[in-house]
Amino acid sequence: MKRDEIIVNLVIIAFFIFMLINSLKLHEIRRFGEMGSGFWPILILSTATLLSIILLVSTLIKYLNEKKKASVEASISKEALVDLKSRRRKFALSVILLLIYVIIMPWIGFVLSTLIYVLAFILALEERRKYVLIISPVLVTALIVIIFAKFIVIPFPRGVGIFAAFSRLIY
Amino acid sequence: MLEHYVTAFSTILLPQNLLAMLMGGLWGIIAGALPGISTSMAVVLSIPFTFGMSPITGFTMLVSVYCGGITGGSITAVLFGIPGEPSAVCTVIEGYSLAKQGHAAHALWVFILASAIGGIFSVFVMMAATPVIANFAMRFGPPEYFALTLLGLSVVSGLSGGSVLKGLISCLFGIFLATIGTDGITGVERFTFGTTILLGGISFVTAMVGLLAVSEVLIEAEQPFQEYKGSARYRGLKEEMPRLSEYKENWLTLTKSSVIGTIVGALPGAGATIASFLAYGEAARSSKHPERFGNGAIDGLMATESANNASTGGSMTTLLALGIPGSNTTAMLIAAFMVHGLQPGPLLLTQRPDIVYGIFVAMLLTNIFLVALSVIGVRMFLQLNRLPYSVFSAAIMILCAIGAFGLNNSVDDLYVMFGFGLIGYYMRKFGFPIAPAVLGLVLGNLAELSLRRSLLLSLGNPLILVTRPLSAIMLFFAAVSLIYPLIKQPKALKDVEM
Repeated sequence: MKRDEIIVNLVIIAFFIFMLINSLKLHEIRRFGEMGSGFWPILILSTATLLSIILLVSTLIKYLNEKKKASVEASISKEALVDLKSRRRKFALSVILLLIYVIIMPWIGFVLSTLIYVLAFILALEERRKYVLIISPVLVTALIVIIFAKFIVIPFPRGVGIFAAFSRLIY
Repeated sequence: MLEHYVTAFSTILLPQNLLAMLMGGLWGIIAGALPGISTSMAVVLSIPFTFGMSPITGFTMLVSVYCGGITGGSITAVLFGIPGEPSAVCTVIEGYSLAKQGHAAHALWVFILASAIGGIFSVFVMMAATPVIANFAMRFGPPEYFALTLLGLSVVSGLSGGSVLKGLISCLFGIFLATIGTDGITGVERFTFGTTILLGGISFVTAMVGLLAVSEVLIEAEQPFQEYKGSARYRGLKEEMPRLSEYKENWLTLTKSSVIGTIVGALPGAGATIASFLAYGEAARSSKHPERFGNGAIDGLMATESANNASTGGSMTTLLALGIPGSNTTAMLIAAFMVHGLQPGPLLLTQRPDIVYGIFVAMLLTNIFLVALSVIGVRMFLQLNRLPYSVFSAAIMILCAIGAFGLNNSVDDLYVMFGFGLIGYYMRKFGFPIAPAVLGLVLGNLAELSLRRSLLLSLGNPLILVTRPLSAIMLFFAAVSLIYPLIKQPKALKDVEM
């Protein structure tokens, strides 16, 4: 876990430094006697970079201390490894499904994409009860369409071609 | 002033507003009671519902969600020993102990009534204090505003649980996000990298939906599959009605806790969680029976519940009078104000008294409404925990998408939400609190503009920030709020993430 933390700290520092370099270009843009567009971002980003470096150093010190103490590295038990794999799989699936939902929505329309997404997401969460799998996607989609498309009239994407024709039947 | 109250009462009593209050209160309690949904998340998820409403109906609903969420968080705390909200941690200690002793119904009564007392007390303080503070704040210049925003940001970074360093980094990240887009003074594009998506800046609602709600669903999605979140049995709500003598005995604790709650709530950046911890600590210190604390102390339960509900009125006072969110949830309300084209702050009271007084009345009625809702609905809320949790998660995700999409009717915002969802997930995983980032995003622009205006006033001399007494005092407290947690952090707060 500590190793992951160090990697994350490095990513954070890289991010802040990258943005800091970009903000330096903004510093030139200002009128006489004024604080330019770059001053505030430079102030914020340089403080953030400094604090992230302090955080990295303190994490590194903790990591090295722990390494010294635990000479025999505790091996992860088999169950914990299976659990970790299952967690990662579910997280990855949830992220991919959300991304697919966002990508396909303009093409196949809000109704169909939501229906498919709800079914796929609860399957990814390991829901296996048949009645839940059949009823809930239809129920959730219907409720959302009634409230948000019919009642609040949000112009959700209808999709293209045949999908648009299908969406028009509903809202 | 009286005419404003008469108008506000007659407006709020319109059927559509009462319905909004009912729906908001119900949703707030349900969301608060479910461990996966925090009050701030419930408020963010309700914003899309208000798109089609008039501002006053929308705000009636949102403040009902806010108050309902704080109350609902304690239902699961008492019955299952799971704090639905971080602010209900002390409720678990006392309320759940009572439940285990077979007095769950009694604990429910005590907390429902104590919540109402705290909530109503703070609403009256809010009604009295908002016009006075707003009037006073009219004298604030840019340096005072800068100091005030800095105070809010440093309090939330210092006290948001976990490491202060991570709180600060999270806050600076939020402030950085607020600089993205076109600079209001020079018109220069900042950090847009040639894209049009970022030209108008990052939308608060979209970012908040991602950081708070999407990330929470992703965290929950990793958990092993559960058919339900839990179930509890209790009986005898009628048989265990609290005695009046209990309230008479503890009137001092109730009053003290309500005052603590209101004041802490009003401090920029500190919310219900800190209020409930402080009031609980004070009740334990001054109790005649300190040995009962931890084993179902009625006064402890009263203290924590009246304080966390009293914080709502306090937070709203700071929001309405100064335009500074007193807590994470009121930061979401700022976003809602902007969605409806309003800017909270001292001018709102003179420009739109209908909204401000409407909110006063709505909060007062909501607190009364919530007693009835909690008593009638307790059985139903318990059944809710038996609904399939996976479907809840899916429905929340869809609501997130609607919240992000519905603001500008743009699919691009869905990608922004997705990105922030991932960022929020990793922030939570690695112990970076979300609240400072959200507050940084909301207050970043105000902080920058007021600093730049201050320096224009002083011809570039930064000493203007410390030579004006009010701003100097606020900056001093900002520094204290950052240094104090480094020296001494309340132990319980270390484990709580807000």
